[in-house]
Amino acid sequence: MLKFRIGSSAPRATALAVPVLQGAPITEEWRAAAEAGGFTGKPETACEILTGERPVLLMGVGPHATEAAYRKAGATAVAHLPKTRRLALDARTLLPVLGAAFMQGAALRGWRPAHLRSIPDPEASALAAIDLLSEKPGIEAAWQAAHAAWRGAQFARDLVTEPSNTLTPKTFVERLELLEKAGVQVSVLKRRELAREGLGALLAVGRGSEHPPRLVILRLESAMEAAPVVFVGKGITFDTGGICVKPANRMWEMRADMAGAAACAGAMLALALRGSPAPVVAILALAENALGAESYRPSDVLTSFSGKTIEVIDTDAEGRLVLADALAWAIARHKPQAIIDLATLTGSIVTALGHHMAGLFTNNAALAADVAAAGEAVGELVWRMPIGDTHREDVASDIADLRNCKPGRMQPDACQAAAFLREFVDDTPWVHLDIAAMDTAEDATDQQAIGATGFGVRLLDRLIAQRFEDPHRA
Amino acid sequence: MLDISFAKSVLPQSGAVVLLVAEGETATADMVAALDSATGGAIARAFAAAEFTGKAGSTCVILAPGAGLSRVVAVGLGTHDAITHRTAEAAGGTAAAALMRETQATIAAGGLSCEMAAAVAMGACLKAYRFDRYRTTEKAEDKPRLTRLTVLAADIAVAKSAWAPLKATVDGVFLSRDLVSEPPNVLTPAEMADRCKALESLGLKVEVFGPKEMTKLGFGALMGVAAGSACEPRMVVMSWHGASGSTSKGKKSGKTQPIAFVGKGVTFDTGGISIKPAGGMEDMKWDMAGAGTVVGLMAALAGRKAKVDVVGLVGLVENMPSGTAMRPGDVVTSYSGQTIEVLNTDAEGRLVLADVLYYCQQRFDPKFMIDLATLTGAMIVTLGHEYAGYFSNNDALAAQLYAAGDETGEKLWRMPLADVYDKQLKSEIADMKNITGRPGSAITAAQFIQRFVNGKTWAHLDIAGMAWSSKDTATIPKGATAYGVRLLDRLVSAHYES
Repeated sequence: MLKFRIGSSAPRATALAVPVLQGAPITEEWRAAAEAGGFTGKPETACEILTGERPVLLMGVGPHATEAAYRKAGATAVAHLPKTRRLALDARTLLPVLGAAFMQGAALRGWRPAHLRSIPDPEASALAAIDLLSEKPGIEAAWQAAHAAWRGAQFARDLVTEPSNTLTPKTFVERLELLEKAGVQVSVLKRRELAREGLGALLAVGRGSEHPPRLVILRLESAMEAAPVVFVGKGITFDTGGICVKPANRMWEMRADMAGAAACAGAMLALALRGSPAPVVAILALAENALGAESYRPSDVLTSFSGKTIEVIDTDAEGRLVLADALAWAIARHKPQAIIDLATLTGSIVTALGHHMAGLFTNNAALAADVAAAGEAVGELVWRMPIGDTHREDVASDIADLRNCKPGRMQPDACQAAAFLREFVDDTPWVHLDIAAMDTAEDATDQQAIGATGFGVRLLDRLIAQRFEDPHRA
Repeated sequence: MLDISFAKSVLPQSGAVVLLVAEGETATADMVAALDSATGGAIARAFAAAEFTGKAGSTCVILAPGAGLSRVVAVGLGTHDAITHRTAEAAGGTAAAALMRETQATIAAGGLSCEMAAAVAMGACLKAYRFDRYRTTEKAEDKPRLTRLTVLAADIAVAKSAWAPLKATVDGVFLSRDLVSEPPNVLTPAEMADRCKALESLGLKVEVFGPKEMTKLGFGALMGVAAGSACEPRMVVMSWHGASGSTSKGKKSGKTQPIAFVGKGVTFDTGGISIKPAGGMEDMKWDMAGAGTVVGLMAALAGRKAKVDVVGLVGLVENMPSGTAMRPGDVVTSYSGQTIEVLNTDAEGRLVLADVLYYCQQRFDPKFMIDLATLTGAMIVTLGHEYAGYFSNNDALAAQLYAAGDETGEKLWRMPLADVYDKQLKSEIADMKNITGRPGSAITAAQFIQRFVNGKTWAHLDIAGMAWSSKDTATIPKGATAYGVRLLDRLVSAHYES
């Protein structure tokens, strides 16, 4: 695991990364090199200086000293110095929150999973330790919070990376039980309890698999006298599409169809590690959508936990089914003040927003604004999308209360899925994040390691910090 | 168009009568009591039998109720306090749909204001539209017969003056629907330009550019799209000087900055060499709907003598595969000087808009430009058929557009612009390429267009899901919707008339 140090200096030969605000004067020692390299501090630029006693990297921060800008600078440093084992980050002049963002960005970019390999990885990141050079008062506390969020993101990324033969609903639960050490309470509903509780939609989705479904409840102790905030995550450990089987091409990506649940779990870890006082519960709906003799069929009608009946048009629209039960159950049992679900839900949202923003749907403009602001602050961007009258009409069934999707090509399925989910939250303030395009990065960039992103962990952590930890606002 | 007149509230002695009834006012609404007593209580009995309470959108049709009337149609308005212009329009449309067997009818709208009465008339007209130029064998008894509507209003003069501008807007909507409905063998770029030219009768100044002029100007992108077709391209520039005074004579001294609307007018889009699949290709006759909207809007503004200086530009081409067609891989030089690597000839709308928008801002230096285009399938997958997606580099203009959409029922939803999307347009050999992958492709199309607005205040409306309706609504019959005419007419009247 990556080691972090905060101090006034680093060992002599350690590579040094220096962030430079656009237009700010550059230290005499490096000015000539910066000029020769045409470096002016523009964002997403860097200048390597190898002539001194240690390698130095100047990174452009751009014109504004924001968390996002320094997080990017930290990531750029790691991307440009892949063979560096120990990296010092010069944060001596930075506000603590910016220094912490700087190191967090470096740490996030340095991630590369290794445990599935038996032969050495030529692309492995050599980075083993980061030194943050800062003596600012408050830097330790700022880093503690940023470090907790990073740990949460790592936890989620590892889960998303895990293949579906080793990450089943059962082993997912075993991984979650590790969170108890951090102070997260873990309880589980297995098949029999799910049947007793009447989560008919979740059970139907999991029925075709050898690995039965689970509903996991993660909870933080809180002294605050407020209704909890509930996170709900879609956790399909593998999605074949079921009887409506997906095309073979790129089906392997469906191991990440549990990224919503992973993000919720990662956020709980982050909150626990930084000792958040907020009352927060995460409900994870875990199932494998498999092809089997017991699989549910298109045209089946399911009775969900809420009592509402659902006609199944397409067994590959399974995420909204498990969420329907998880949302309704969470509201019935936990009476939340707000509920936020995350799900790799639709291909439609990928077409709509590409790989740069998640889609946000809501029944509550104020909560939506808080979620969007949290996303902006941590660099996990969301864009608000509508639930229109026609989208609701599209999920009306001829024979049941609802159908799980509208047949036919070119459907605005992301909006229709959100309209479907809204039927299970009643008046509880609710935000749904469709993160289908955001769970995995297909290519490495300066800003982003290849593979699982942990999208949503830092957003949820920041949302709680900004909106739900003030007892006077609760 | 229906012949609309307004009259004092007097009980008609024959024909059909429409009663507009707010919820819970089934006994007290205008004319109800008079009609009920004239028919010996038939109205009250029918309302009770049909459980008609005046709920919004509900109707109760009573055939031959007595008193010499052929039919009474009651239309619910919903709760009195919630009645808006949209409600009134919808009620007019619903009434018109129930009156198609009648030749004329009277609408009792006396409970509503005169402005609302005019809105009722508008809704009825919008719904009664029919494109039947090409029906030659339809039997007379199958044709809709309704030709005249009399709307009862408290003050005839006030109602008439409220109706006059609405009638002009309806004329614009119908022109736009006609253009979009016309088949592509009839509506070629040249034919569409001729129909624009005919708008000079309204006082618009209309200039038509042919291939020679556009080649000389250097419209390499638009001409690239046109290269495969036997039908020559056109660009039409329509100007209306409603604020600066002179309508057909030359400019007055002192430059005024007009507002500008620009439309994509691909009269048929085969996709070109990157040809589309055959299934559904017939829909591509309406790939000129952006231009159709701009033409209809200009007719509406001129028709109601809007006090605004406005230009409307449309780029008209047909996208065909042939030996002379543009190929995937070609690089074209746009009017702006920027080069474009054409990786897919079916992403042609943005090429047309690139040249026309750049020309528009350069020649007119407008306050803002708004373009409309049936641009991407991705927009349909994003929002469906309830909202057009829009993009803007200006929050104030964006807010005005959103509000106008809300008020007219031509709804908009804002979509993002950001550098990260713009970067996806990078080409290995030219200034940009004309397509990206499917993810976010409505956004990257907007980013492409933004590269040709030269920093001007601008909004782009992707109306791919809105131009043609497969369902009837209260005021729009199946088919061409003329989406955008009313929205932009409202934008102008709310914010840009002196």
